[in-house]
Amino acid sequence: MDVLHNLAFGFEHALTWQNLMFCAIGCVVGTLVGLLPGLGPLATISLLLPLTYSIPTGGALIMLSGIYYGAQYGDSVSAITMKIPHASSIVACIDGYQMTLKGKTGLALFTAGVSSFIGGTVAIVVLAWLAPSLGEVAFLFGPADYCALMLVGFVCVSFVTTGSLLNGLAMCLIGVLLGQIGTDVNSGMPRFTFDLPFLAEGIGLVSVALGCFGIAEITKNLDAREERTPFNGKIHLMPTWAEFKRIIPSALRGSAVGSFLGILPGGGPVIAQFAAYALDKKVSKYRDEIGTGAIEGVAGQAAADEAAARTSFIPLMSIGIPENAVMALMMAAFIIKGIQPGPNMIAGHPDLFWGLVASMWVGNCFLLLLNVPLVRYWLSVFKIPYAVLFPAILFFCCIGTYSVNNNLDDIFITSAFGLAGYLFLRLDLDPAPLMLGFILGPMLEENFRRAMLLSRGHFSTFVTRPISGTLVGLIGLFIVWQLVAFVMRSRGPAPAVPVQPAGSA
Amino acid sequence: MIDRNLARGLALAATALAFGLGSLRYPVGDFAHAGPGLFPLMVSVMLLGIGVATIVRSRFVPAEPLAFSAKNIGLLLLALCGFALVSKLIDMAAGIVVMVFVASLAGTSFSWQRNLKIAAGLIGVALAFQKLLGLNLPLF
Repeated sequence: MDVLHNLAFGFEHALTWQNLMFCAIGCVVGTLVGLLPGLGPLATISLLLPLTYSIPTGGALIMLSGIYYGAQYGDSVSAITMKIPHASSIVACIDGYQMTLKGKTGLALFTAGVSSFIGGTVAIVVLAWLAPSLGEVAFLFGPADYCALMLVGFVCVSFVTTGSLLNGLAMCLIGVLLGQIGTDVNSGMPRFTFDLPFLAEGIGLVSVALGCFGIAEITKNLDAREERTPFNGKIHLMPTWAEFKRIIPSALRGSAVGSFLGILPGGGPVIAQFAAYALDKKVSKYRDEIGTGAIEGVAGQAAADEAAARTSFIPLMSIGIPENAVMALMMAAFIIKGIQPGPNMIAGHPDLFWGLVASMWVGNCFLLLLNVPLVRYWLSVFKIPYAVLFPAILFFCCIGTYSVNNNLDDIFITSAFGLAGYLFLRLDLDPAPLMLGFILGPMLEENFRRAMLLSRGHFSTFVTRPISGTLVGLIGLFIVWQLVAFVMRSRGPAPAVPVQPAGSA
Repeated sequence: MIDRNLARGLALAATALAFGLGSLRYPVGDFAHAGPGLFPLMVSVMLLGIGVATIVRSRFVPAEPLAFSAKNIGLLLLALCGFALVSKLIDMAAGIVVMVFVASLAGTSFSWQRNLKIAAGLIGVALAFQKLLGLNLPLF
């Protein structure tokens, strides 16, 4: 029972007073910020990343992951109570908001909380069993295989987050190009720096993230001139036993779907919640009620959301390739702390890995015991008028940018990316794939150059190696499928306009 | 009216050209021995392809208007740059006051008293960061 032994070891690290505190702070702060309009997990993590610099490594990672799943839960709360969704809670709007209209807000929030707990627990079991064994597979990967895997990630993320392969891939490529700014590692030659000394080390990740997500998001809300009305309804949390029994099967189905989809490249909460909702609509005993405010419509998707959020750590920690934009930011946090995620991480830092896994379950308990009962108080953040809120968010952007290098000049770079982020928004381009491209770009270049060096300049190395050959084949199939779909669509009638979420981050 | 689809294609193509032409200034090398310019050049060529495809596609799909208002984003960027400049010249507390006042011009309502309260609150938060988290902020 190696895994149990390791988990016990992890709990020893997660259950120190200090780490418990970091976990609790992360969950609460994440929930609070996740509630705010237009701030999803991606924006929340990038805003709060600089605050973790002065915290010890284990605590910082525990707090950041607490922020991540706290923000997930906060998102679904604002979706259920006020129909303000983010990318990770679009589905919660459908049945969750219908339940609020029926006066069952408390039941919906309780369902979301309990299902998240179930989803998280299942996912942690998967994580603890699968990550170490997948790490051993990762040792078989050569440079060409890494290249192909990153390309698969690009294609999947582009398709999943934007729905348009062309726009998403374009953003990935722009991200890769932005990652090229700075000194070339192989030759030491500065690239695209315009001889500016502060560009020699490349653009700061925090500047890109805060510009594209923080500042662009504030401007979007200001342009919309929307005054949000706070939620004033009553919240009655405890369900009856009959209602409670309906949560379980649906949540278990959602956990299985979420755990599986979370591992795949490009996967994660966004696609998992849709899949779980669709599955419940097919097989649930109460499938006729789904869509009109049924418990199953909330439970399945909440469990899938949470499960996928956790299993998406598996590729990051065992192979070292983040599979979506949030994981790319988490990877940046690991690297800032001096830890390279990858096959060597579990063996090299077992305390960190198992501590993090254990803390995820602790965070689960915090969410269930702390945030679900207290959620009615958290909702009062909506009583803060936006005129007060947005200067405060702007202030956090400034402090965050400044504290990376203690350099005020970095704020100018952040403003430049704020403008770029706003242009992307207006041009209907999603910045999430850009983040992934920006972080993977240097890795992609290094592995590409290494693969080419090994094969003496022959591209055939990408096809002849079994792993990269399979992955490249998958990309080819996917692109052909997209082309065929595009041709079919332009011949047939115009498709229905898809629903756009309020916050894409 | 500016067509958003066309504008997107043009913006992508322009980005690709800027990086692509820039990468030609560095040694390109060949595939077996790549120079620093090779990889950015390859990526730019792919991006240019996507840009051109987007431009071509915009001729076949109905045009959408490009909604762009310079006022709010301009004010926010001004607030950020003002914060950086004033923090450099005077100190960060003054920078926070400037940022709050410039930024709130972008909001729906403007009030002196409220702005002063927000600025005071934020200076308090900054002070807490400085003392409790050990961030090195040049506040006063």
